[in-house]
Amino acid sequence: MNHAFRQSLRAYLFLAPALVLFAVFAFWPVGYGSYLAFTDYSLIRPPHWVGLDNFRTIFENDMFVTGLRNSLLFLLIVPVIQIGALALAVLTNNQLPGIRLFRAAYYLPVVTSISVVGIMWGFMFHEQGTLNYVLLQLHAINAPVGWLSDDAIALFAVMFVTIWRGLGWYMVMYLAGLQAIPAEMQEAAILDGATRWQRFWRITVPMLKPTMMVCTVMSVLAALKAYQEVLVLTQGGPLNSTFTALYYAYDQGLKHLKLPRGLAASFVVSVCCIAIMLPCLHYFRPKHR
Amino acid sequence: MHQRTGASASGTRLVKRLLAAGVAAAAMAVSVSCAATQNIEFWTMSLKPKFVPYFESLVKKYEATHPGVTIEWVDFPGDLIQTKLVTRIVAGKPPALVNLNVPWAEEYARDGLIMPVDILMGTAKSTYVKAAIDDLTFSGKIWGFPLYSNVTVIACNTSLLKQAGLTRPPRSLDEQLEFAVRIYEKTGKAGYAPALSKPDGFMLQQGLPIVENGRAVFNSPQHVALVKKLAAAYQAGGILKDHLFAEDNFPTVIAAYNGGRLAMLTAPPAALNRIETDAPDVYAITKVVPAPLGPTGIVDGGWLIHFAVPVGLDPALLPAVADFARFITNDENQLAFAKLANVFPTTVAASNDSYFQKLSAHPNASEQAMAVGAESMKQSRTLYVAGIEDYDELRRALVNAVEAGMTGKQNVKAALDAAAALWNKKLARQAHQG
Repeated sequence: MNHAFRQSLRAYLFLAPALVLFAVFAFWPVGYGSYLAFTDYSLIRPPHWVGLDNFRTIFENDMFVTGLRNSLLFLLIVPVIQIGALALAVLTNNQLPGIRLFRAAYYLPVVTSISVVGIMWGFMFHEQGTLNYVLLQLHAINAPVGWLSDDAIALFAVMFVTIWRGLGWYMVMYLAGLQAIPAEMQEAAILDGATRWQRFWRITVPMLKPTMMVCTVMSVLAALKAYQEVLVLTQGGPLNSTFTALYYAYDQGLKHLKLPRGLAASFVVSVCCIAIMLPCLHYFRPKHR
Repeated sequence: MHQRTGASASGTRLVKRLLAAGVAAAAMAVSVSCAATQNIEFWTMSLKPKFVPYFESLVKKYEATHPGVTIEWVDFPGDLIQTKLVTRIVAGKPPALVNLNVPWAEEYARDGLIMPVDILMGTAKSTYVKAAIDDLTFSGKIWGFPLYSNVTVIACNTSLLKQAGLTRPPRSLDEQLEFAVRIYEKTGKAGYAPALSKPDGFMLQQGLPIVENGRAVFNSPQHVALVKKLAAAYQAGGILKDHLFAEDNFPTVIAAYNGGRLAMLTAPPAALNRIETDAPDVYAITKVVPAPLGPTGIVDGGWLIHFAVPVGLDPALLPAVADFARFITNDENQLAFAKLANVFPTTVAASNDSYFQKLSAHPNASEQAMAVGAESMKQSRTLYVAGIEDYDELRRALVNAVEAGMTGKQNVKAALDAAAALWNKKLARQAHQG
């Protein structure tokens, strides 16, 4: 038994407890769930293989097709949330009096329960709600806008809430990244006569690349898997316009107990996640080892 | 060959007798302990924590008079109970009794997940009101013990009605829509918020069938005219727009009423309790009136909750289950629960109780609601379409068609035609498979 083999064996032994837990609670359910997506299955009868029938059924359904399109449209929030979070992190990275209060305030939506978020934004968005009231008072609109009842804009209202909820989380990630950049590098650049803008582009952004990768990956996945906001704000309406692929999976699989359809929809979402993540990971991979 | 001595033979006999006596005693003990541990688990839907004292005292009372029977009460939220039930049936450990509504029971009966209760109910059948038994009768058998029922009443914000110059409640759907528009014109507040996530029930209440001879018929001129009426009121601002077509728009609707943004709330009487707690100022100016009957003479919002018996129970337990089911749904207990929960009992004696018939000199809104509802209960039925696979998905297509028509996204007739075509395609496929 050579040294390298022993080293690997030791590493796997250390990993074993976690791997066992993963195998039981992640790999097995994912694998078995994927298998069930290809079966006709209900809680009261055993699964039997039906090939692609479930996928055919969901792709024939307007709700799923709209949901899938909306899930892809949800990716629009990724650049917005990343740029917004980075900007907030840069602003709150300054040592100003009371800055911790601002950081906490921006983080508050992250720890707010989704039910509370639903109720609060429901009040804000409804036709006689706060948002319309303010806009009417400012004469920015002539008549109340159906933020959640107009199928042309409801999805964007839901996306806005997703951005609002996620911004604080990514801000904290970027803040940690910013604070990990050695101050000496900034000081050296200042001595070399670099402007604030040059320091940002030449030092801050490159040094933040690993954080950007993590944040981008997480926000892409979060966008593709969005469903909680839909559940609490619109339940997929109006006219199915806010259905997302994962909300469809929830709606069919858990709400109406059509498990094969829910699993097939989840399978499609997973494939989309992998297909979109691979180029992202490739783009952000370290160039020099 | 070895021969036993007399003493040793009698000792052996004694040991055998003692052993036999021991086995017999153990068997008796087991059988007694089996009898003593007859456990009845019953599930209710969304009744905790408000009704904990009621059910705990009920359980104690029953156990005190039925030694050898233990009762276990479990409560699940409405959105979880189905999953839990199916899982437990599959696992072979079903609860003895479970709260279901009529459409769920019909589906479970079709899937063979609950059992008919005709024999278990026995002579107690005559104690329940006929409408409740009719609601629970599918394929000629009764599938549950009626527990309570509900019916819709209209809670009116008298201040908004007065501002709109309205002095009496609406007597028909047409009037309700007309009043709603007038309220919006005079006050800027919506007048009415129908439960349009269930347009099938709405149409049935108006005497318009959904399926006839295996084909969807909700695109007839009468159905189109009904949706057009709703569309006109919607577009004139008379109908509350928020979450109007959502699967459960009740939280939004009651919040709107409590906030003074809705003039007429169509809801079961229990909603009045919530208004009293959450918006006492609005409660103080609320007057309750009956919901208009449709041409069918059936009042909107009939919703019977009952105890079904899942399959897979130990047959030896069934007599005890039947006894407990009859006890929990008897006159006395239904009446007590109905008073607590502002719902309506489904036994003949309890529903004729003076509590539902007599009004105090100055009744508050809750008392008005109970009196009005009790009167309407005689015309209450659970309205739904039975016997169709994948019904939720089909109903959603109908909801979308009604929504598209009402919001002006699509011509009403075209929207209903498209939905009917989808229904017919699915119904034909089901007929072919069936």
